[in-house]
Amino acid sequence: MSIIETESLCRHYGPRRGVEAVSLQVPEGSLFGFLGPNGAGKTTTIRVMVGLLRPSAGTARIFGLDCWRDSRAIKNELGYMPGDLRLMAWLDGARALRIWGKVRGRDLLPYGRELAERFQLDLRTKVRNMSRGMRQKLGLILAMAHKPRILILDEPTVTLDPLMQAEVQALLRQWAAAGHTVFFSSHTLGEVEQLCDRVAMIRQGRLVADESLDTLRRRAGHEVTLRWRDAGAAPHDVPAFLQLSQRQETVWQGMLSGPVDELVRWLADKPLDDLAIGRPDLETLFHQYYAPEQREP
Amino acid sequence: MNQGLMLKAAIELWPATLLCGLLLAAAEAALAYVIPTFQAQWSQSVTQIGFLQDFVSAMLGVKVADQLGPEAFTAFPWVHPVVLSLVWAHALLCCTQIPVGEVDRGTADVTMTLPVTRWGLLASHSVVWIASGMIVLGMGLAGNVFGGRYVEAALRPDGQRVVIVLANLFCLYLAVGAFSWLVSASSNRRGMALTVVFVVLLTSFLLNFLAQFWELADRLSFLSVLYYYRPLFVLRDGAVPWGDVGVLLATAATLWIAAGVVFSRRDICTI
Repeated sequence: MSIIETESLCRHYGPRRGVEAVSLQVPEGSLFGFLGPNGAGKTTTIRVMVGLLRPSAGTARIFGLDCWRDSRAIKNELGYMPGDLRLMAWLDGARALRIWGKVRGRDLLPYGRELAERFQLDLRTKVRNMSRGMRQKLGLILAMAHKPRILILDEPTVTLDPLMQAEVQALLRQWAAAGHTVFFSSHTLGEVEQLCDRVAMIRQGRLVADESLDTLRRRAGHEVTLRWRDAGAAPHDVPAFLQLSQRQETVWQGMLSGPVDELVRWLADKPLDDLAIGRPDLETLFHQYYAPEQREP
Repeated sequence: MNQGLMLKAAIELWPATLLCGLLLAAAEAALAYVIPTFQAQWSQSVTQIGFLQDFVSAMLGVKVADQLGPEAFTAFPWVHPVVLSLVWAHALLCCTQIPVGEVDRGTADVTMTLPVTRWGLLASHSVVWIASGMIVLGMGLAGNVFGGRYVEAALRPDGQRVVIVLANLFCLYLAVGAFSWLVSASSNRRGMALTVVFVVLLTSFLLNFLAQFWELADRLSFLSVLYYYRPLFVLRDGAVPWGDVGVLLATAATLWIAAGVVFSRRDICTI
């Protein structure tokens, strides 16, 4: 069952494009990665989901409720951390948890303290005295302290050190295992790859992929590296099922679009020194999807 | 209304409330003491010099030539530009806190994704605004009473009438605040919102001021918010200015509702 669902979602800023016809389905209990370069429309999509922006067309629903009209009901069970997190300078962690608790009508201090201990954050430090990383930790604590059914995180680990990133990832995995849904927007492909079981990619405001990571990899084919015995040994013709990204005298690299046995049959009588076949990593997939955009002026 | 948001608003507003309240108390104390002390000299000068007479009329917003009694002087502490500026400054600071203040400093994403409707957010902040406005005006009244203790009893205004003036001033405060909410709800930059409200208030003040000298301004003076705040009449007659209070409250309610409608429909955009 999809807990977040957008259908033909459009959002324009006057003549400027935000997102165009974005149809997303996020299954309940999943760790969902949302990828795209700067300005692709990730934050716009998220801001529509959390009720900050009204869609120009299409719908965005969470728990089956409309993200604009039923925003309050949705936010009861939603935790959100914005990418460009700003907090009031006079706040400290404990005070923030007390105020947020009053707003939400529940005591957030016990779990908030537990999270602070896990993230090694002193709740007595005022925001004005915090580093960016500390503010990010506090933002995560405030988004998670009420144990929401859905957690929407926009670049949540960007200012955290690697140890803390690992800690956050471990926590998010625990959350997903416990049935919470995590919607995770990031530029850090390795992180998404380690963490997420499903990803969507957005490019120039349009969704270009929304699948499980395995399906995405299968669909992309295999990464192939062929090492020829010596210079001049490489065949002159490249078969149609092989799209080369690099062609040197002794080394060919590219993507295999057909079945592996077809490649093996073709290689049978070729002077091959070494062969490597594997599924591409997320970074390769990302580059595949965004290569045309990068070539645009 | 949400207790947590009210607590947040109160924490953010108390320094401005305390500062405006203390300054208003000091200004009221000084004016309540100084003006009646020099009343005798002033009344002589005013009756003799035409320009000063016009100036006093402009300050009080009414022709005083034939009404220059002790009430005219006791009305000064309630119409002095410093007093009005402090009251308006407080309303401006409170009512541009959300949404424009939050959008401008980037905290709107955090505040406005809490489970509260936009109307709830506005109502919670408005309760704190009204309460803090009462505190500021209360401190002004305390200053006025304190300053008045050191002048002759005959020169002091009637306490009940002063309370009516204060109520009228509070209605003025509500109208100015509600206008600020509306501008705040329509803006993305706090500096711009403050400028717009300031310019409108300055125009309103000048219109009321010039109405005593210029016929065209006099004909348009009903458009000035100060047209509905005339402490001299209250202190002289002791009657509650129901008409003025009604206009100010209706204006405040209309503008506040308009602010809520605009706020509930607008996008919160930081990009």
